Amino acid sequence: MGAYFIGAHELLGWVDGLRESTRIIGPVAKRQRFVFAELESAAQLRLDYDVTILPPKKVFFPPKQQILAFDSERVSDCIDPVPTVLLGVHFYDVKGLDMTDFLMRERYEDWNYLAQREATTIVASSVQSVAPRAFWGSIGAHVRPQGHDAMLTKVSEGYVLETRTPKGERLAGLERFRHATDDEVAGAERVNAAVMDQCSQLMPYDSKEIATKVRESFGNEELWDDLAMDCFSCGSCNIVCPTCYCFDVRDSWNVDQTSGQRTRYWDACLTREFAAVTMAGGQKENFREHHASRFRHRFMRKAAYLHDKLGGPACTGCGRCAAACTANIADPVRVINTIMGVTL
Amino acid sequence: MTKPRVAFFDFASCEGCQIEFTNHGDAVILELLNHLDIVEFREAMTETTNEPIDIAFIEGSFTRESDRVRLQAIRSRAKTVIAYGACAVTGGINALKNHQDDFAEEVYGEAAYMPHLRSGTARPISAAIKVDHEVRGCPVSKEELLLVISNLLHGTTYAVPTFPVCAQCKRRETVCRYEEGDHCMGQVARAGCGAPCPADGIPCEACRGFVDDANLGALEKVLVERAGFSQRRAVAKSRMFTANLRS
Amino acid sequence: MTKDEAGFDNIFLPREAKIIRTSRPTPSEKHFTLQLADRTSLDFVPGQILEVGVMGYGESPIGIASSPTRTDSFDIVVRTVGRVTTAINSRDVGDSLWIRGPLGHGFDMDELRGHDVLIVAGGIGLCPTRSLIQYILDRRDEFGRFTLFYGARDPLQLLFTEDRLEWRRSDAIDYHETVDRADATWTGNVGVIPTLFHKTAHISPDTRVVICGPPVMFKYVLIELDKLGIPRENIFVDLERRMKCGVGKCGHCQINDKYCCIDGPVFTFAKIWELEEAI
Repeated sequence: MGAYFIGAHELLGWVDGLRESTRIIGPVAKRQRFVFAELESAAQLRLDYDVTILPPKKVFFPPKQQILAFDSERVSDCIDPVPTVLLGVHFYDVKGLDMTDFLMRERYEDWNYLAQREATTIVASSVQSVAPRAFWGSIGAHVRPQGHDAMLTKVSEGYVLETRTPKGERLAGLERFRHATDDEVAGAERVNAAVMDQCSQLMPYDSKEIATKVRESFGNEELWDDLAMDCFSCGSCNIVCPTCYCFDVRDSWNVDQTSGQRTRYWDACLTREFAAVTMAGGQKENFREHHASRFRHRFMRKAAYLHDKLGGPACTGCGRCAAACTANIADPVRVINTIMGVTL
Repeated sequence: MTKPRVAFFDFASCEGCQIEFTNHGDAVILELLNHLDIVEFREAMTETTNEPIDIAFIEGSFTRESDRVRLQAIRSRAKTVIAYGACAVTGGINALKNHQDDFAEEVYGEAAYMPHLRSGTARPISAAIKVDHEVRGCPVSKEELLLVISNLLHGTTYAVPTFPVCAQCKRRETVCRYEEGDHCMGQVARAGCGAPCPADGIPCEACRGFVDDANLGALEKVLVERAGFSQRRAVAKSRMFTANLRS
Repeated sequence: MTKDEAGFDNIFLPREAKIIRTSRPTPSEKHFTLQLADRTSLDFVPGQILEVGVMGYGESPIGIASSPTRTDSFDIVVRTVGRVTTAINSRDVGDSLWIRGPLGHGFDMDELRGHDVLIVAGGIGLCPTRSLIQYILDRRDEFGRFTLFYGARDPLQLLFTEDRLEWRRSDAIDYHETVDRADATWTGNVGVIPTLFHKTAHISPDTRVVICGPPVMFKYVLIELDKLGIPRENIFVDLERRMKCGVGKCGHCQINDKYCCIDGPVFTFAKIWELEEAI
C-alpha cells in the first residue's frame, strides 16, 4: 500500500472531512486524562495523548452491551454495526486488539464483537507522549501490531500516513495528501523506532522464560500471598486491560414488565464471586475463594495460559493496570520482576 | 393478575429515598401504576391505609421503642418488607451518633432538649423486624429500584452486585479521585449505584456499606500513603455510612 | 449456531424449546421433556450441556439427561438452586424454555466403545450420565460389561424411579445404588458411593470409568479406582463450573488454562491431573 504526507495545518481539515461521512472515534481529553470518544469536531482530537483510561476495545465490545431483546413473543439480537473510523490508536493497543480479535474468533465467532470490528477502519498513530507506567518497550517486543488499516506518524512539519489495507488506502484518497518522499517515510520509521526506548519501566526477560517461570510459581502460596497482600479484589486492573475479555450476562425487564433485554457487562476475575457457583441449598462453592488465588489467576492468564495461543504474552505493556491500582500492587513490572528474581 | 398493593413508610431519615422514586417522573411512574397499586406514599399522595399490603418499602432507621411497635404493625400486615435505603439497611449516617455523646447541642443548640429529639441508638430496621430484601444506598439508585420492583413483580429477586465501586468507575472511564490528589473508598464500597459520585468529582463514601471481605487494612494504608490522611483519620474515615459495622 | 436476521452467526441467540412433559422426582428437582419449537432434532453427544434460559431471568448450564439415540425429544433435570433455576422450574407443559447448544465436549464415545464401562454417579450427577446410560443400553452390543453405581444423600433424593426399576431388573446393566442416610422404608445399601466397590468383583483394569457428582466424591472414588489399577487416561470426569456463556468467552468457568464449557465439561482424569484448580 502507499505512503502519503499531510501538512500539520491540514490534518484537522482532513479529519473534519472524514467526519462528514462517517463516525470518527479518537483520543480526547477528560480532565487530566484521555479517553476514546466520538469526535464532535476535529479540534477535540489529542494525538499527543499518552494513554487512554480504557483501551479502544470498548468500541467493539462496550462495557455494557445489549446482546438480545425480548418481548412476550420473540427473542431477537442486537448486532447493529456503525461504520466507523477509529483514529489515533497507539501500537500497543493495536496489539491488544489483535489479541481480542483472535480470542473473539477462536472456536465460536462472536459477531457481537466482530461485526463492529469489520465495520471499522483503524488508523494507528505514533506515540507522542509516553505514559509514566508504560513498559511496552520491553514486553512482547517481538510481537508486531497487525490489525490496523493505516499508520499515522508525526514527523516535523506534518504527518506520514502509511496505508496497510485497501480500507486504509481509501482514507488517503481525499485531497490534502501528497505522496510521501522516501526521506519522509524513513523519518517516520526513525520516530517509531526511537520511541521504543522511552519507557521508564522495564521487564528485561524473554516472554517464554516468563511464561515458564510464572507457571512454575503456581504452588508457591507464600509468594502469591505476599504479592496480593493489599489487593482489594476491586477488578480495576481487569477492567482497564486491553486483553481482558471476561463478561457477565444479566437480563432485565423494561418498565412495561413484558419486554426486556439480555446485556453483557465487562466482568473481572479479581472480584470475589467471579468463580462462585450457587449449589443446592443456596450455599456457594467458590472455586477461587481467596484474593491471592484470584490475583494469581490474572497473572497466570496474562503471562502463561494465553502465551502459547497468542504467540506472546497477553499483555501489551500499556501500564493501565499499574496506574489504575490504588494499592499499587497490580503492576506487571513489579510482579513479574519479583517472580523472575525469586528461587521457587 | 391483581396488582400488588404497595406502601411506603418512613422512620428516622430525610425521606430522600422516597423522593428518588418520584424522580422517575410521570412517564415511568404512570407505566408502573399499571403494575402496582400504590396505597400509601406520603411524598406523593394523601391517602393512607390500614389494610394488608403486599410490598412495604420502609425508609429510615429504628431509633425509638415506639418505632419497634410501628415496625411490627407494618410487618404483620405486609407480605414482603423491603429495607429501603441506607438508614433502613444499616442505620446509615444516623448511626454516627452511636459513637458520640456531644452531638445534640452541636447540632440543635438550645433546642437540643426538646422531647421530640429524644431518641436512642440508631439501628437498622432488621433489629426490630424480619426484612425480606434490602435496597442499599444514600439515596437508593432509582435505576436499581426499577430492577428491584420488576424482579419482585416477576416473583424473583434482584441480584445485587457484590463487587466494589471501582469496577463501575473504570467501566465509565471516571478519572480516579486518587489521580486528582483526593481520597476515595470505592475499593471497598459495594457497587450497584453506577458510581455517580466520583464521576461528579466526589469521593465514594461507601453509602451501600462494604463488600464482603473488604480489605480494610489496605484501605487505611492507601488513605495514609496516597491521600495523605493521618492514621486516625484513615481509621475513622470509613465510619460515615458504616458506623454500625465498625467498632 | 443460530443465524440472526442480518445473517450473522449469533452465539447468544437461543432457540425456543417447548415443554411437552414434566415430573417432580424430588421436591427440589424437576424433570422436563422438551422439543424444539421448529420440530428439528437436537444433535448432540452424551455429556454435552445446554444453556437453558427463561427470558428476563437468565440462563443456566444444564447437562442433557437423555440419549441422542432417542431423537423425538430430549430431557433435562433442573435442581432449584438460584433465581434462574427457580424460574425454569416454575415453567410447565406448554410453556417454552430458551436454549443454546448443545455445547461443550461430551463423552468421547469412541474411547468407550468396545470396552467395559463403569459409571459412578452421585446425586444430580446421574442426570448428565443418564444420557450415556441410555446410549449404551440402546447400543448394548457395542460395549462390554456395563456397571452403574449411583448414590444419593437419602432415599427421597433418588432420581429416575422408573429407570432404576428397569435397571435393577435388566441383565444389560449391573446396577448398584446406595444412600448416605437411610429412612424407615429403605432396605438397600447404606453408605457413601465408594463402599459400592466392595459389592461387585467385576471391574476389570481395562474398564472405562465415568465419574459425575459433587467434588467431594471424586477423591474417594479415585482411591478405589487406583486400587483396581485403572489408568488415569481411562477415567472420565464431568466437572461443574459457572459456565455462563457456554462458548469459551466469558471466563467464569476457567480451570487454570481450560474452559470447562468448551474443553469440558467432560475431561479425562489424566488431562486434569496437572490442573491445580480442577478438583
